[in-house]
Amino acid sequence: MPLRRFVRLIPVALLLVVALSLPAPAQAPKSGGVLRIHPLSAPPSLSPHEESTIAVVQQASPCFSNLAYYDPAKRQESVDTIIPELAEKWSWQDNYRNLVFLLRKDVKWHDGKPFTSKDVKYTFDMVRGAPDAEARLKVNPRKLWYENVEHIEAPDPYTVVFRLKKPQPSLLPMLASGYAPVYPEHVPLAEFKNKCIGTGPYKLKENRPGEFVEYVRNPDYFVKGRPYLDGIKWVIIKDRSTQLAALQAGQLDVAGSGWNKANAETAKKGKPQLVLIENDSNVNDNVLVNFKKAPFTDIRVRRAFNLALDRKSYLVGPRQGGAVFGGALLPKPAGVWGLPVADVQKLPGMGDSVKQKAEAKKLLAEAGFGPASPLKITVSTRALAIYVDTASWMVDQLRQVGIDATLEQIETGVWHPKMTRLEYQVALNLTGVGIDDPDAQLFENYRCGSQRNFSGYCSEEIDRLMTEQSQTLDKAKRLKLVNEIDRKLQADGARPVLGWGKQYAVSWPYVKNYPQHDNSIYNVSRLQDVWLDK
Amino acid sequence: MRGYITKRLLIAVVTLLGMSMVIFVLMRITPGNIADIMFESAGYVDQADKQKIERELGIDQPIPVQYANWLGELTRGYLGKSYRYERPAWDIIKPRLPVTLELACLAMTFSMILGIPFGVISAIRQDRPIDYVLRVVSLAGLSMPSFWLGMIVILLLVRSLGWIPSVTYVSPVDDLRANLAQFLFPALAVGYRSSALIMRITRSAMLEVLREDYIRTAWAKGQRETSVVWRHALKNASLPVITLLGIEFAFLIGGLVVTETVFNLPGVARYLVEAIQGRDYPVVQNLVMFIAIIVVMANLSVDLLYAWVDPRIKYGKA
Repeated sequence: MPLRRFVRLIPVALLLVVALSLPAPAQAPKSGGVLRIHPLSAPPSLSPHEESTIAVVQQASPCFSNLAYYDPAKRQESVDTIIPELAEKWSWQDNYRNLVFLLRKDVKWHDGKPFTSKDVKYTFDMVRGAPDAEARLKVNPRKLWYENVEHIEAPDPYTVVFRLKKPQPSLLPMLASGYAPVYPEHVPLAEFKNKCIGTGPYKLKENRPGEFVEYVRNPDYFVKGRPYLDGIKWVIIKDRSTQLAALQAGQLDVAGSGWNKANAETAKKGKPQLVLIENDSNVNDNVLVNFKKAPFTDIRVRRAFNLALDRKSYLVGPRQGGAVFGGALLPKPAGVWGLPVADVQKLPGMGDSVKQKAEAKKLLAEAGFGPASPLKITVSTRALAIYVDTASWMVDQLRQVGIDATLEQIETGVWHPKMTRLEYQVALNLTGVGIDDPDAQLFENYRCGSQRNFSGYCSEEIDRLMTEQSQTLDKAKRLKLVNEIDRKLQADGARPVLGWGKQYAVSWPYVKNYPQHDNSIYNVSRLQDVWLDK
Repeated sequence: MRGYITKRLLIAVVTLLGMSMVIFVLMRITPGNIADIMFESAGYVDQADKQKIERELGIDQPIPVQYANWLGELTRGYLGKSYRYERPAWDIIKPRLPVTLELACLAMTFSMILGIPFGVISAIRQDRPIDYVLRVVSLAGLSMPSFWLGMIVILLLVRSLGWIPSVTYVSPVDDLRANLAQFLFPALAVGYRSSALIMRITRSAMLEVLREDYIRTAWAKGQRETSVVWRHALKNASLPVITLLGIEFAFLIGGLVVTETVFNLPGVARYLVEAIQGRDYPVVQNLVMFIAIIVVMANLSVDLLYAWVDPRIKYGKA
């Protein structure tokens, strides 16, 4: 080829290379269609403020809006990914002691009534249990989140001010959680047991308890052009193999809530065109050791327990590879506040299994337990497969260090009352955290006297550090403090975390923009951006 | 006959009253109540709040007082309010009844269509290849739990056809064809087990009757096989089969829980288990009473059918 001709071809080749390296043009979303999906379980109500199960958040979120919400498109939730919803904007004032929201003026409730700041004040006065609140929640599981709120003001119909007793940057992340929707002041609270009047992208069409929850598009939704879908149908399917078959037969568009890795892979194996997404999640398997009962008052026994539970065996055993290791907060890279990898590797139970078990035996012997007088304990757990699998593994691990452990399955109805009253010796528990935030996780589960501090752990030093981190405004300093707390909690064997389970979503390829976050399962169910490429 | 029916109905009332006491007391001595469950779902227990809810629901009162209140409501035709959904219990139960009744009736129909003819054929061809085949089929039916069979059916359907019956309930009023497609496989799964039982009972009853003198006389008179077998023998062999049908139907109403779960049918049986787990007393009490009424009525119907099938049986006379 003559050189001149070759040189002339160079720009053409370059153009071709550039064109090929450019991302394919994004497909324009299509409107229409109904997304069929199965939730974790039937919702006990459609009132997120009164419940603590992901099932309610999943199925009620399409109906509601928050002041602010986590951006569905950003996989890792943090304070930087919070976007406006009912609030147009917000600002912290007085060094994080006042949080001011300026509200949208174009929002209507599903019954046509206008949304105003009164609704916001009504909702959060009710949730924080203010003495002058207009309504009172029968069950108020997240009252603790708002205990630092001194007063809520609604100076005009479109401004709300949260006045705090002490600075607390975590208030905004809490308000952005799926557990913090705004309720209408004009609708009696009891109606949310079966109905839903919100400002969200979908209006409730029908709720048949135990069967399905069906929504249709809200034509008056304040985000123009959304939602793309005509509706959503949450189909309650109790049996896991039926969920799998319904997905493969095309009766569901998305499935996977409550599935483990094996379920997700089986679905994909049956229909290879299905899309499988694996994510980290902020739900951990943890061991409750009763601090109020001997011999667990002895740190040697607690430490022996922690060492006996080989985390690598946990990962391949009950979790089938679907978990990551960490401390009290979801570890990096999915989590924002977790311990660095180097620290996680040093946690009890993470080292050489043989050596750790030998050390556990030694510690037990020092505490007066050995082959002649073995430590006899009952490992309690909730009578649900996902709990029992791990608890059975735990019993086996404890027996390997000479502990005479037996398994006790406790019916769901009496599980939490028993844990709250500390009527157990050792228990295997699962804890989900609404948001990946130290205030939400630490105060609830580790503070002295907290109702959900099921192990009875109490340390004045930890309490002081918890309060300190909550008020620390510098993010780097706060992270350092949170890591320090986490290290101390693990050293104390406060509530040993075995691992953080992964979550799975399996969908047909035509489902687009289905949101999945790496560090929360609770804040992704608005579903306004989902569309079907059919 | 009228006197007999009246007497049986009076006994039924006493039976139901006894049943109501048993279920009422059993539900209340089980650990945990609805207030526990509510707080369980919220993940914490505040004793003051819990006691307030117990007061509101009236479950803080002594069991006899609660029982008397419930009976009083029943006599006024009010079934109480579901604690779990804060709706009238009847609103929760009503849409579920047709689902279970349809499934039970279809399953019974299949079991009769399959069980009785196969039982008869097996008896009249005793110890021949067809008898062995049918006995194996019936043994398989008795050995395979219907929920397991249901799961296998679903897996086979999805693997081979890429289709399964609808996982959301389709009312026959809205779409009869889709409704029948939805109920066909669960009814077959349940009906197969019942048919196996019916077949075995029919076979043994027929074998006994076929050896009776009057059957031999009928053969001797030169009557056709169809007349001897279906008119004379089967009619006389049907008493134990009718008894079994009554028992099976009553069993199906409350015993379909796993089949309803596997095929995702929103029936009474599945909901009963959920209501028990949720300690939703009004719903449980009323559903169990409903099942008890079905059992009592099925037994009464069976007894009345006896008189129709066997004219020698006379009720109401000493």
